[in-house]
Amino acid sequence: MAVADISHAPTGHIHPPPETFVQKYVFSFDHKVIAVQYFITTGLFFVLAGLLAELMRAQLAGPNNHVLSVTTYNQAYTVHGSAMVWLVIIPVLTGAFGNLVMPLQIGARDVAFPWLNMFSFWLLPPAGLFLFGSFLLGAPEAGWTEYPPISLQEPAGTSMWCVAIFLIGVSSTITGINFLVTIIKMRAPGMTWTRMPLFVWATAVTAFLSFIATANLSAALAALFIERVFNVPFYDPSRGGSPVVWQHVFWFYSHPAVYIMILPAFGIVSEIIPTFARRPIFGYKAIAYSSTAIGLMSFMVWAHHMFTSGLAQWVQLPFMALTMLIAVPTGIKVFSWVATLWAGKIRLASPLLFVLGFLSTFTFGGITGIFLASVPVDIHEHATYFVVAHLHYVLFGGSIFGIFAGLYFWWPKMTGRMLDEGLAKLHFWLMFVSFNATFLPMHWIGLLGMPRRVATYDPIYGDTNLFISISAFVLGASFIVFAYNALKSAKNGEVSGPNPWGARTLEWMIPSPPPYYNFDRIPIVLHGPYAYGEPLPYRDVAPEYLDATPLH
Amino acid sequence: MLARRENGGIHGRSGGTGRRTRLKIARGNPSCGFDSHLRQCDYFRTAFVAAAEDALARGYNFDKSSGFAESTNALNHDQDDYRLDGGFWRAVIVMGILSALGMWGVVVFPIERFLPEAAEPAADIDWLFRFMAFFSVPILVYVNGFLLYFAIRYRKRVSDSSDATGSPIHDHRALEAWWTAIPAVLMLVLGLLSYNVLPKYYGAQAATVTMEAIGHKWDFEFRYPGLKQSVFNDLYLPINVPVTMDITSTEANEADAVIHSFWVPEFRVKQDMVPGLVVPIHFTPDRLGTYRIICTEFCGVGHSDMWGKVHVVSQSDFDTWYAKQRTQAASGGPPIQLAHGDASAGQALFQQKCSVCHNAAPFDQKKVGPGLANLFDDPKHPNLVDGKKADSADVATILEHGYTGDMGTMPNMQANGISPADIANLIAYLQSLHK
Repeated sequence: MAVADISHAPTGHIHPPPETFVQKYVFSFDHKVIAVQYFITTGLFFVLAGLLAELMRAQLAGPNNHVLSVTTYNQAYTVHGSAMVWLVIIPVLTGAFGNLVMPLQIGARDVAFPWLNMFSFWLLPPAGLFLFGSFLLGAPEAGWTEYPPISLQEPAGTSMWCVAIFLIGVSSTITGINFLVTIIKMRAPGMTWTRMPLFVWATAVTAFLSFIATANLSAALAALFIERVFNVPFYDPSRGGSPVVWQHVFWFYSHPAVYIMILPAFGIVSEIIPTFARRPIFGYKAIAYSSTAIGLMSFMVWAHHMFTSGLAQWVQLPFMALTMLIAVPTGIKVFSWVATLWAGKIRLASPLLFVLGFLSTFTFGGITGIFLASVPVDIHEHATYFVVAHLHYVLFGGSIFGIFAGLYFWWPKMTGRMLDEGLAKLHFWLMFVSFNATFLPMHWIGLLGMPRRVATYDPIYGDTNLFISISAFVLGASFIVFAYNALKSAKNGEVSGPNPWGARTLEWMIPSPPPYYNFDRIPIVLHGPYAYGEPLPYRDVAPEYLDATPLH
Repeated sequence: MLARRENGGIHGRSGGTGRRTRLKIARGNPSCGFDSHLRQCDYFRTAFVAAAEDALARGYNFDKSSGFAESTNALNHDQDDYRLDGGFWRAVIVMGILSALGMWGVVVFPIERFLPEAAEPAADIDWLFRFMAFFSVPILVYVNGFLLYFAIRYRKRVSDSSDATGSPIHDHRALEAWWTAIPAVLMLVLGLLSYNVLPKYYGAQAATVTMEAIGHKWDFEFRYPGLKQSVFNDLYLPINVPVTMDITSTEANEADAVIHSFWVPEFRVKQDMVPGLVVPIHFTPDRLGTYRIICTEFCGVGHSDMWGKVHVVSQSDFDTWYAKQRTQAASGGPPIQLAHGDASAGQALFQQKCSVCHNAAPFDQKKVGPGLANLFDDPKHPNLVDGKKADSADVATILEHGYTGDMGTMPNMQANGISPADIANLIAYLQSLHK
């Protein structure tokens, strides 16, 4: 057969790895090193933004506390929200997980544009410096949405905020283009679109959204910056501008951004469930195509954030209808994931636990999303703690649970070592219980009349808020367990081997951590990755790695 | 082919011209994109075709589609394991009972007891809320219930071999059609029901009271037809009379205006007060009582304290109140008795209201306005009223009428919600600060 005498050919091209420290670890082109850089940087921002949240909860523990001044409190929630969205969730899901996993899963040796990949990462640290540094000049106070005109009246820190988010936007756009080209052009031979792992599907749709939508945010930010610094009135209504224009353009980005923040988590979930249920993902095509449908529909629903802004009634109607329709593809995914667990041989390892937590909390957050889609009900709920609760159920209960599921899942691949399973489970239960204890009561006080973005509030909500604050401190502490686990694993974690979970996608068909050039030979893909019980559908994978028997 | 690859460049086609472009990448970057190049070259074509033949020989149903076409080997599952057995249906029934209980709970839940429905659209909105909660209950119960049930029922047993796998079933057309169609229909119904309620806010209605609500930093101003002066933060409305409220926001200096929001939770009514935009909303208060008006759009340092009250009163009480407002406007209100000020009451009031903008500290320590500790003898303090050193009467004048000038803007006593007695108390407190 012709296969034998050509299979050595691709190995001839591997370049030697870089030798200097700077080339290897600082300005590295290697997608895996860049992924780790993203993980460390976003992890640091996560700690900072999380501490801001704990400060906020300290202030809100009592109705008239003076832990923070009103101004500091306002700055805290603004920087917390901005950092969590732009410096943590978006870069960790695209930059970190996308970089770590996607090229490996498509059998590529790197992304299409490695220099841009490096550049994209190095926009992140200055963005963080600008955002957290804005406290020096008077940090922004109007929340992560920074609606004008009040954002025009704030001190200079808001201009720094503009610069920070603009940098993230550039980074996000570049990463989007880079990943799209990588996925379209660099899949291993035989990997047709419908043989791609579902995480790659999710990354492809996310990359498309980052690429198309982020430019709108950049435009809105540029206009805000120009208005603040050069006094050109785009948004100031007293000089012919319109504050509602900002809301339209901001949400035209920020609604797709909601899906930028959740689709990769969907992808992570779609990888973990079949691996630990030991059976094919239920409805592969339904999950893949519903991601695409969600991606496209996400561009047509932005004004549902603006139902109380004074839109005409007939404008609200299509936005309400389309928002409700997005529930259909999202429901298809949730039901398919649940059906995948049916009749499996389920291993309740830590990644799956976090996924079960994800499914439980995200479904709740999705349903409250429908409550917010109905215009008359939204009129009551908008800008209250109900929205705060909904947002955290999808972004924390969804994205952050998905991120930790992915971290526990791919940690052995990234580091070559296992995390302690007992500590992982402790982390999960602490996080899951305290998460619900923190955010579930917020729905209730929001419906009863507690507005968001207040430093002091009506004492009738005092007891509930005290309970929420205590839960939030436990929630914060749960991450210490993870940090300890990570350090312990780095010091003396059990060596994982190439495929500890017995997964079937390509990243597990190479050593852990992967060698510099990922694949000795580019594998040839014969089939989709989820046919558990069947032989692995890859050619040109070294026989010792062609094994999907779980060890853990 | 190979020679070109050795250059370590990216090769791409541009458009339909077939012209090749080459981008050099510094430092012999390893990931020069040759993979994509390889995909186009003959070498991989050959490999791919050979691999496909190989796969066929090994039993894969190998074609362009990915479907999990069953291979001819490696299928040794016992299909009996995967029937929907008694245990499954028992779980479904238990979850059904839990759902029914939850749905019954949603139907009978006394929303009124926790948040009164005090205006016309409130009951409709609560009905919609109930409708959504009613159908959310079974979704939540079944999703969480199946997660738990499957995780326990289908967990890997000790007796299972380490490479045991679960059911190979990966699609079920009818099931998928159902779980697409049912939510779609529910969403359609919900959309129509929601659409029906909307005109109650925005549709043109014959309103008996048409008035204006204007957001300021950090007060709600209400203007009634026929009243010369505005009412601040205390809104009086007659029961069962439809109201059309034109909502906007502004400041003395228009460039200072920000977005506020007018929310009465008990009315289920909310509308952003956007500078430069006047939005009419409609509601009919139908329950006597005093309710909260809350600002829900962040509007600056006073946002947390920006709230007012709406008093829904009988028509006769409203008429009395309205008549009093008219006469008050004519007479200018009761005089201020400065001599009766109580410093400790003033201190409490200062903490509650003034401290949003002022520190009880030297003049330099500004918050929004200047520090007020040495108001009466600090040489740095400008002579705001009549060119002389500030005295109690000057301070009372500013508290009563507000201030607009080079130091900023301070609302008047109505806007600040303080009475003549409050003014006397505040002055007594400010005098006590520099003993």
